[in-house]
Amino acid sequence: MRSDEARAILDAALALAGDRGMEVVLGGGLFELTRFANNEITQNVSERRYALSVRIVLGRRTGRASGNDLSHDGIAALVARAAESARLAPEIPDLLPLPGPQRYGEAPPPDPATERIGPVERATEVARAVARAKAAGVQAAGIYETGVGTIGDYGQMGTLAIANTSGLFAYHQGTDAAFAISALDGAVSGWAGVESRRASDVDGDALAARAVEKAIRSRNPTRWEPGRYTVVLEPAAVADLLQDTAWLSFGALPVQEGRSFLSGKIGTRIAGENVTIRDDPFHPLHGGAPFDAEGMATRPTTIIERGVAIGPVYDRQTAAKEGKESTGHGLPTPNTFGPIASHVVMEGGSGSADDLVSGVERGLLVTRVWYTNVVDPGTATLTGMTRDGLFAIEKGRISGPVGNFRFNQSIVRMLGEVEAMSEPVRAGGVVCPGLLVRSFQMSSVTEF
Amino acid sequence: MRDLAQLALDTAVGRGAAYADVRFLELRREDLLVKNGQVGGLEQTESRGVGVRVLVSGAWGYAATDELSREGVMACAARAVQIGRASASALLSPVRLAPEPPARAVWSSSCRVDPFTVPLETKLDLLFRVDAALRGVPGVDIAEGFLTFIRKRQLFLSSEGADIDQTVTRSGGGYSATAVRDGDVQRRSYPQAEGHHQTLGYEFIDSVAWVDEAPRVAEEAVALLSAEQCPAGEFDVILEGSQIALQIHESVGHPSELDRVLGMEANYAGTSFLTLEKKGSLQFGSPRVTLTADATLPHGLATFAFDDEGVAAQRWPIVRDGRFEGYLTSRELAHAVGEPRSRGCVRSDGWHHIPMIRMVNLSLEPGAGTLDDLLADTGHGLYLETNRSWSIDQLRYNFQFKTEIAWEIRGGRRVRMLKNPTYQGITTEFWNSCDFVCGEAAWRPWGVVNCGKGQPGQVADMTHGAAPARFRKVRVGAGYDA
Repeated sequence: MRSDEARAILDAALALAGDRGMEVVLGGGLFELTRFANNEITQNVSERRYALSVRIVLGRRTGRASGNDLSHDGIAALVARAAESARLAPEIPDLLPLPGPQRYGEAPPPDPATERIGPVERATEVARAVARAKAAGVQAAGIYETGVGTIGDYGQMGTLAIANTSGLFAYHQGTDAAFAISALDGAVSGWAGVESRRASDVDGDALAARAVEKAIRSRNPTRWEPGRYTVVLEPAAVADLLQDTAWLSFGALPVQEGRSFLSGKIGTRIAGENVTIRDDPFHPLHGGAPFDAEGMATRPTTIIERGVAIGPVYDRQTAAKEGKESTGHGLPTPNTFGPIASHVVMEGGSGSADDLVSGVERGLLVTRVWYTNVVDPGTATLTGMTRDGLFAIEKGRISGPVGNFRFNQSIVRMLGEVEAMSEPVRAGGVVCPGLLVRSFQMSSVTEF
Repeated sequence: MRDLAQLALDTAVGRGAAYADVRFLELRREDLLVKNGQVGGLEQTESRGVGVRVLVSGAWGYAATDELSREGVMACAARAVQIGRASASALLSPVRLAPEPPARAVWSSSCRVDPFTVPLETKLDLLFRVDAALRGVPGVDIAEGFLTFIRKRQLFLSSEGADIDQTVTRSGGGYSATAVRDGDVQRRSYPQAEGHHQTLGYEFIDSVAWVDEAPRVAEEAVALLSAEQCPAGEFDVILEGSQIALQIHESVGHPSELDRVLGMEANYAGTSFLTLEKKGSLQFGSPRVTLTADATLPHGLATFAFDDEGVAAQRWPIVRDGRFEGYLTSRELAHAVGEPRSRGCVRSDGWHHIPMIRMVNLSLEPGAGTLDDLLADTGHGLYLETNRSWSIDQLRYNFQFKTEIAWEIRGGRRVRMLKNPTYQGITTEFWNSCDFVCGEAAWRPWGVVNCGKGQPGQVADMTHGAAPARFRKVRVGAGYDA
């Protein structure tokens, strides 16, 4: 949806505000995904949808109504429902007035070639990947997805455009493409994937080659005992761990509530000197929106610099509590979650994750991890499983496949044990390097 | 609604679909949150749209839209057919649907008090009373409570002649108290983590003693800060019902989904150790363990008259007396296990997403005895309550859970509170170690409302009924060796 079309919808709602404060948010777009398994396409979907969310502000009372009937009557009904909620809602003492116009950084426009990708183009790319798997005698499963707008993986909608009665207006439409493939050989498997705002970065054949190679190298794994190992974590594994950590610890609310490992540690050393982590939607590999769900300009924000805790990301409410300015990481107001770092960037080194293997005398190469979850918030301890390619490293070389482990690992501790890093790539919504980490805790084995 | 759904169906068939079904949905939702004495969320949501699923040359296509004009739904149906054609270009075996007589029905879940007519003031008053009771206990740092109400009306039409109009109303809520000290974050929730939900109207909210339990919940959260760390080692473990519900969900429900077994979820959620040759032969659990899938369970979250393929709700054993017996199936995959008819497990989380195999309600059948009987029968062990963390490998063997609280049992009694309990296991070893399941009086239907599956991801809800049960020689404590 173009900016002028979005603006017209937002203006239609704002015209009904009268003397009330009103914030209007539009989200949506077109999201398509071709899914394959057992070397054939098994599911192929397209969703086109938009939704409008109206928030009415009456002094310190506020209420929200959302819906996808964007007709005049539909918008009027939303405004009426939001107004009714606001009228009945108790006052929120900390509620802030609507912000005025903001200045935003420049974000990349949608990629026209990605917008043009359709089911035929995706099927062609899938066929190339499947051909590679068939030739190797393994089964391929995966996805090729393309999208324009702000429909997320679980159907959640980000902010395409936002406006309010204080004169704020912001609009950003991006494109996304992702291809992921698992190659299966019985219970063992290999994986490779790419995500980008440009579909031209997708090479199904090359990804299939990498996944197939990992699957074949994973045949007949040996069992290693649980314990602490030096590990090389490929970027997909690092991204999964950092996403959970960001969700758990990088927002100002968990810091203020004492639930983050950053709580009480700002300005002190909490990680190795080689660790710098920030949030930056303007990183060329992210290309994210330049504003948040409150309409505030998102600023690149350093969270950890050379091992020292610098600070979390803020929304308006958490910033006001500390007399600071929002860094533009807010969710829709009001909420109980607080701000979130959604464009994490971890600085890295050079070369690929494969290059890190040469620095390991004895350890493990982890392709990716699975089903991570929080064990202990205060130490950012996560559990999860290794998946789709776990290999022994001996004397700087891959020596063979190893059966998968469950890990329980404090991410704070891990960030103090990083020995080397590869060049950052985008994986799992994060820009991060592969890591060579000492003393990673593998807790138990599984059956494959 | 009906005219547009029929137009979409006619368009799909006219464009060449050998089979088509259309779901026209109207969704309504209300969310209320109160945190530390303030409204943290107050939102009404409505969504309408249509999803068109087609088979073209034996391959699936799906398109969904909220452009609810004649032109909009015709374009959507045409897009579904176009996508189906593209799918057919990379197809090895055409889809065969198990036969199902086309049903014509109108059905609604039980709803005595429409939650959308209950005033917001009434709902907020309840949440503020809970909030005050939680924060009335010194040491509570965070008090959070919520109520959620959902109504979904779906008209399902198929090219085979099915015409099913179903309305489901869901009500639920929950709360938690969190106490924090020096990086130690302890939480207690009621009635379980993620709240308690049923397909009922507001009468369900009125049936729960929300405020009465709040002081105990808050006191336990604060007391956990001073409690001893749960020791590591091998223990006999008693799990409270809501934790067993999640254990069922992760280690029984997901691995028995036939699409996973056949590799169709391999790239994301994974596959399953319950491969086809294990049906009827694998000793999944001890003879005390019988697990029943049941889409007819009264007030269950996955209770319906027909699934999203128009297949009537059913009840059947997944595990009987410990032996693995059945899968969760669809019309597309029933033939893979030699069954003539789908078990009716196909659902979608909205008009915008394609239906796929989802767990229906799946419950551990009750045994005999009370929780006191079970405690009295346990010389030394641990009693674990209320889930806090969960994880399992992609074939569903190795799991690890954390609960909010543990109690050490000595001499048949709870003798002390312990914090941060984690336990690990391998699915079949764990269920085979079950030697005591409490009886019907202790059995409760627990809901799961955040089950993620599929690409694009979908969120489903379902109920798992369970009574407390005991598992022998469980590995405890590894989560804190980090």
